[in-house]
Amino acid sequence: MLLEAREGDETFVFTAAAASVQVQVEPVGRWFEAFVRRRNRSTSTSFQELEEEQESSEEEEDEEFQLEEYPMLRTLDPKDWKNQDHYAVLGLTNMRYKATQKQIKAAHKLIVLKHHPDKRKAAGEQIVEGDNDYFTCITKAIEILSDPVKRRAFDSVDPTFDNTVPSKGEGKENFFDVFTAVFDRNARWSSKKHVPKLGTMESSFEEVDNFYSFWYNFDSWREFSYLDEEEKEKAECRDERRWIEKQNRASRAQRKKEEMNRIRTLVDMAYSIDPRIKKFKDDEKARKESEKKAKADAKKREQEERERARQAELEAARLVKEKEEEEAKQAAQLAKKEKEIQKKAIKKERQKLRTTCKNWNYFADDESDSVKMMEEVEKLCDRLELASLQSLNEILAAGSKDDSKTAVEKQVQEVNAQLQRERDAEVQARQTSRSADQASGGGGGGGGGKGWNEEDLQLLIKAVNLFPAGTNARWEVIANYMNLHSTSGMKRTAKDVINKAKNLQRLDPGQKDEINRKAFEKFKKEHTSVAPTIDNAAPSERFDAAGSDGNAASWTTEEQKLLEQALKTYPVSTAERWEKIAAAVPGRTKKDCMKRYKELVEMVKAKKAAQEQVATKTDVKGVRLYTLTSILASNSCRGILRL
Amino acid sequence: MAAIGVHFGYTCACVAVFKDGRADVVANDAGDRVTPAVVAYRDTEQIVGIAAKQGRFRNAANTVVKVKQVLGRSFEDPETQTHGSETKCQVVNRDQKVFYEISAGDQTDFVSPENVAKLIFNKMKETAQSAVGSDITEAVITVPFEFAHAQKRALREAAEAAGFHVLRLIHEPAAALLAYDVGQESSSGKSHVLVWKLGGTSLSVTVLQVNGGMFRVLNTHTDHSIGGESFTQALALHLAAEFKRTFKHDVSSNVRAMLKLMSGADMAKHSLSSLGSANCFVDSLYDGVDFDCSISRARFELLCSSLFNKSIQPIRVLLEVAGLSTTDINKVVLCGGSARIPRLQQMIREMFPDVELLSSAPPDEVIAVGAALQAGLLVGRDGLRPEEESVTVDVSATDILLKELNESGAELFTVLLPAGTPLPARRHHVLRGGGTLSSLCVGIYQRLVSMQPEKLAQIILRDLQPSEEHNVDTVLTMKRDGSLHVSCVDQSSGRSEVVTVAAAS
Repeated sequence: MLLEAREGDETFVFTAAAASVQVQVEPVGRWFEAFVRRRNRSTSTSFQELEEEQESSEEEEDEEFQLEEYPMLRTLDPKDWKNQDHYAVLGLTNMRYKATQKQIKAAHKLIVLKHHPDKRKAAGEQIVEGDNDYFTCITKAIEILSDPVKRRAFDSVDPTFDNTVPSKGEGKENFFDVFTAVFDRNARWSSKKHVPKLGTMESSFEEVDNFYSFWYNFDSWREFSYLDEEEKEKAECRDERRWIEKQNRASRAQRKKEEMNRIRTLVDMAYSIDPRIKKFKDDEKARKESEKKAKADAKKREQEERERARQAELEAARLVKEKEEEEAKQAAQLAKKEKEIQKKAIKKERQKLRTTCKNWNYFADDESDSVKMMEEVEKLCDRLELASLQSLNEILAAGSKDDSKTAVEKQVQEVNAQLQRERDAEVQARQTSRSADQASGGGGGGGGGKGWNEEDLQLLIKAVNLFPAGTNARWEVIANYMNLHSTSGMKRTAKDVINKAKNLQRLDPGQKDEINRKAFEKFKKEHTSVAPTIDNAAPSERFDAAGSDGNAASWTTEEQKLLEQALKTYPVSTAERWEKIAAAVPGRTKKDCMKRYKELVEMVKAKKAAQEQVATKTDVKGVRLYTLTSILASNSCRGILRL
Repeated sequence: MAAIGVHFGYTCACVAVFKDGRADVVANDAGDRVTPAVVAYRDTEQIVGIAAKQGRFRNAANTVVKVKQVLGRSFEDPETQTHGSETKCQVVNRDQKVFYEISAGDQTDFVSPENVAKLIFNKMKETAQSAVGSDITEAVITVPFEFAHAQKRALREAAEAAGFHVLRLIHEPAAALLAYDVGQESSSGKSHVLVWKLGGTSLSVTVLQVNGGMFRVLNTHTDHSIGGESFTQALALHLAAEFKRTFKHDVSSNVRAMLKLMSGADMAKHSLSSLGSANCFVDSLYDGVDFDCSISRARFELLCSSLFNKSIQPIRVLLEVAGLSTTDINKVVLCGGSARIPRLQQMIREMFPDVELLSSAPPDEVIAVGAALQAGLLVGRDGLRPEEESVTVDVSATDILLKELNESGAELFTVLLPAGTPLPARRHHVLRGGGTLSSLCVGIYQRLVSMQPEKLAQIILRDLQPSEEHNVDTVLTMKRDGSLHVSCVDQSSGRSEVVTVAAAS
């Protein structure tokens, strides 16, 4: 319950309220957050609560906004609303596109209060009936400006906007004065906020670069729907509407293109005459030039350095060479001198020996002996070295005749012995080389030195048949097989095996027969256990036997070819055919040739028979058999088969 | 937008997620809503939570507990020394910084408390993210009121290292108030709230003033010597004595046996909060002997009565220091796991007989929920800079009073604008006057704490139409500097009077 006021009491303030104090609070809760938000926005010391904030800010704006009455307002024709300046109508001439929606609303309110037909009627004014009153213009203006889309369209074609692009001439004189204004003006079309400023002469490269890249990629919101000649709303049917839309779109695009071109021209222009760009370019150029120069200098210096080093090196090499040559020359001279001295000494010694021997009458009594001795002494002179000659001469000079004689004879004997030795050695060498030739020539027979006994040979043949040509790594496989099954315990490589197999091929069929026979004998010997009459068929023996008729038997490939050729040239009807054939094959007699021919014929026959047999068997086997025969006969029968 | 609130306690950590306008505690992968803040180091892995706690028997030397005690402290700090002497894990000094010496596996590692805290935060983050299903990092983290700047910074760094984006660190008592939505509905009104928190190892009692929706801590008291573990310890000692009586074995010196007993006692204690008696069973406690013992709630309360008194007593002291009586307290918030103990709740209720006891939410989750609510408020907004988190606010220094008559005709003062109201503030009152009166006098007084009221201004409304009752709309607005503006409007006649009282400079 409130008290009753006493007589004479007035509304009165007695004293000041206590000042506020500051306390620390916990930073939690929504009220605290609200407080922080208020504080961060630094809204005045307003005691308004949260929701009242906005109102206060509006009021502030209201204060600064003044309306300018449009003097022509009353004379406006509502039909021509498209050409009116809506901002001017609402009295916002000084705000224009910067006016906020609230300001526009407020302005509209004020102007309506003043110009509404009802108000004017109340004031006793004459009103034009219907839509023809100028108030319609105000309605139109607010209609356009309160709709963001329509307003943007109107803003885009703002009649007060200066679309001009300054000419090059006026821009060049004072670039910054002219272009700052132009760019500021055009910045309003940017859809991005914070348009970079043109800046001043002192702007950094980054700033300028940023500025131009922004303007070259300028994104404008300006559009020209306001200037549409046809109104979509007026269309009566869908088709017409579409047609209008198309028309409008085309004209808008056209205008937009023009606008983009305008901006582009402006930016190009500015860029071309911007003194800073020029400066940056010059700087860049200078920098590059200096860099280039520095580089060239460095290169040149380096090259000189290298040249100098090369010269020095060459000089040094030349000096070394000269020195070496000098030394070599001196050494050669020295050697020559030495040689001459030695030659002289040896000559002298020889002379001495001869004279001494002569003095002693060659230690001989009769003429023939002395002649023989003279020869010996000459031989001595030829053969003996300087040192031994000297020692001999000394002995001769010192000793008596007999001593001398024995010495000389001894010397002679020695020389003779040496000569003999040399001759022997020579003979031996010749013999060994000959035998070596033999070994390598007929040599395969020796199996490369590795003993191939009977069993191994059998095994080899078996292996070769088992692994026909075309087997993967055939010779390795064969060698392996041999090593596995051989009883001789000899390790054989693929190479050995190849050599041996080739030799076997080269061998005469007769030899093969012999091998086979021997194998058979051995088999018989083993199985019948007959006392060994033909004891051991040692390989050497066998080869001797082979070698005995070897001259007649072994036909080389060359001879074979010649024989074949001869057989062809001299057909059967030729008189004295075999003589002629023998003549065509050098080193072979008529008998040899005939014998060979017979052998070959037999081989071909045998082969044909084998082939016929094989033909009944499977292909694979045939191939294998064929390979076998070809292995065995490839060298000797090739030509015949072709025949 | 979702956000996380984390309560990182000495013994336990709890995480709540704010989503779709609600804050809910998230259970961890073990299904517990509260995760023990224990980290165990093994040679190949680090284990956080219940597994680490249970593995403590075997791996005590490499298990870090109560890391919050040393977080952000120097080695010389007495708290660090106490912690070092209590924990089984080796604490070493390196460049005045505290490190744990962990010898898991082959080599010895030195682990900073921040690293340990980071692992716990990581666990909380995983828990929260598994509940929400998306990668949320925005978090509010609670700290005790007494935390020093360095400790707060260490905690913040640990949380950020774990991948949290820390929106703000808020104090635990304030978070508890938020969880119960104290003072959040309207910005008017003034009340005093007592937050009583009995955690695992510490007791903290805080008195807050809630005014204009803002919380202001009037006084606080922290005691690290009492907590849930003290009760467990008392119970475990009793169990040990029982064991000794039955089996003639003294296990109190056997570390492992005591750890086992502690864990058994802990479970028994939890059961006793809801049951009249609990069974404590420990397998092979000592020398292969199983131990089985039944404890009644009365026995437990008897064992812990002195501890209970110790945890209730600080409230009175605190209120005295703050210049308040138990009747001045409007609400009491209970939090911390040990606030579940029925005897303690009963004791507090006895102390504040007419006061609303806020304990409906699980007390160990309250703080996390409050943090999550705060996170929900903050997420998506630009936060304060860390150094700005102690914010000062202008508040009114005096109560603004109105002189009135009560029914019997005696003069009395009613509070129109209480002292401590954040400024600027506006209060709207409808004052009534007798319908027969033709004039009314609105007398405005101010009063500093318990001093004689001083008359500020009077507003006289005259020539009122007689009616049943005069209703006077009175709006008081006080600006930041303390100046007061009072406007009175008579509702029937529309007669108004305005007065402005300048603030003393």
